[in-house]
Amino acid sequence: MRKTAERRLAQMEGRYRGLLEAAPDAMVVVNPAGEIVLLNVQAEKQFGYRRDELVGQRVKNIIPEGFAERLIADALRSAEDALAQQIGTGIELSGRRKDGSEFPIENMLSPLASVEGTLVTAAVRDITTRKKAEASLLEKVEELNRSNEELGQFAYIASHDLQEPLRMVASYTQLLSRRYKGKLDSDADEFIAFAVDGASRMQRLIQDLLAYSRVGTKGKELLDTSGEEALQHALVNLRGAIEASGAQVTHDALPDVLADEMQLIQLFQNLVGNAIKYQRAETPRVHISAVRKDGKEWIFSVQDNGLGIDSQYFEKIFGMFQRLHKREEFAGTGIGLAICKKIAERHGGTITVESQVGQGSTFRFALAGSQDKL
Amino acid sequence: MNNGERKEKPMQVLLVEDSPGDVRLTREAFQQTNPAMRLHVAADGVEAMAFLRQEDGKEDAPRPDLILLDLNMPKMDGRQVLAHIKADENLKTIPTVILTTSEADIDIAKSYQLNANCYLNKPVELDAFENLVKSINEFWLTMAKLPQHEN
Repeated sequence: MRKTAERRLAQMEGRYRGLLEAAPDAMVVVNPAGEIVLLNVQAEKQFGYRRDELVGQRVKNIIPEGFAERLIADALRSAEDALAQQIGTGIELSGRRKDGSEFPIENMLSPLASVEGTLVTAAVRDITTRKKAEASLLEKVEELNRSNEELGQFAYIASHDLQEPLRMVASYTQLLSRRYKGKLDSDADEFIAFAVDGASRMQRLIQDLLAYSRVGTKGKELLDTSGEEALQHALVNLRGAIEASGAQVTHDALPDVLADEMQLIQLFQNLVGNAIKYQRAETPRVHISAVRKDGKEWIFSVQDNGLGIDSQYFEKIFGMFQRLHKREEFAGTGIGLAICKKIAERHGGTITVESQVGQGSTFRFALAGSQDKL
Repeated sequence: MNNGERKEKPMQVLLVEDSPGDVRLTREAFQQTNPAMRLHVAADGVEAMAFLRQEDGKEDAPRPDLILLDLNMPKMDGRQVLAHIKADENLKTIPTVILTTSEADIDIAKSYQLNANCYLNKPVELDAFENLVKSINEFWLTMAKLPQHEN
């Protein structure tokens, strides 16, 4: 009996040897009893055994208890069925070397019909390097998230704490100017005026920096939100500017979307506010609409007949504290569109502009539809 | 106490504030709106409690009609001072107004839980700050009826 088996094994080795050795991975062939029948040089190297130490041994010597049996059972249960799922999709587990040390491996199984019955061929790949890379990537991502969060906190705390001493500078230069204007000399008046102006500009910058960092730190969960109500809210907030400019603000019916309501209001407010602000002399017209894209998300547009923007500035305008006009022409720190961009990104989308100088601008941003309408 | 008597007796206000700049600003603002009122200052919570309890060299301190209390101060902070005032049978009837730069929801909630009578943010702009002091004067020192007490 034993002789027959050995002879068959020798035949088989002869038949598959070339194939096994050509494989880039460690190859181990196991019979239904869980005994190793064949292996290649890579397998010897990987597990640290000599070939004759492994042939005839149980596969669980090199693959931890439990796994080996299950794998073989799975593999043999139904060659087509079970293996169909496993072929090509490696199973990750631990291998055990002769010296007892373990290392991560990826196993790919396939059936092999032979005179001894169905054997299981296992391609075993040492994935130590990949695992390390994965772990280090995960670590990096965590580190990045942490430092991002710290940075957000830092901006918030810094701008909040800077406000205190600045409030003193601004208040007292204003007091100086109020009480001593015209009582010193013209140089003094001029110096004080610059100090007052500088302090109040810095106050606005810090307040805007705070507002910007709040998009991240004070953001609420995205919930079903009425686009219509958010716009109405924004228009109420802008009532003064709309009335003063005589702007005509129109809009189509707006859908319900998944959003942080306060931030959606702010988004509308900044975009409509800009549309009214950057205008020629005629009646400012602003139109807000939304179209469905791919049946999933809504693309909102805020279109105006204002000054328009040169295409070379399309990216720049969304940067922090970026301005295209002199302070004497248009007030502001240049934070509005940066906040819009941050809000759009927090909602998983982007914000874009399409514009021609003198032809008005259209700003577009995408939001996911409300959940019950999906 | 009727209105006639109230005018004769200057109102006493205790400002608990560690920033000299803020103290002066508050003094300037009150000066404009109500020059007769007396503004007393405690630079931290410990000093404030000594003033209110007339202890540790503050035996002659008058009982204030109103307390303006900053939250963030060294030693004993405003929250602790507020808790002490409102736990004190004798002091808890003095209206205590929080006057702080903190806009944090938790500070607002916590202050009212500790029975603050009002929570106000110090505005950043000078004009707004002056208007706020004017409102405090109009509401707490003029319109509001305050409890009577001895001394």
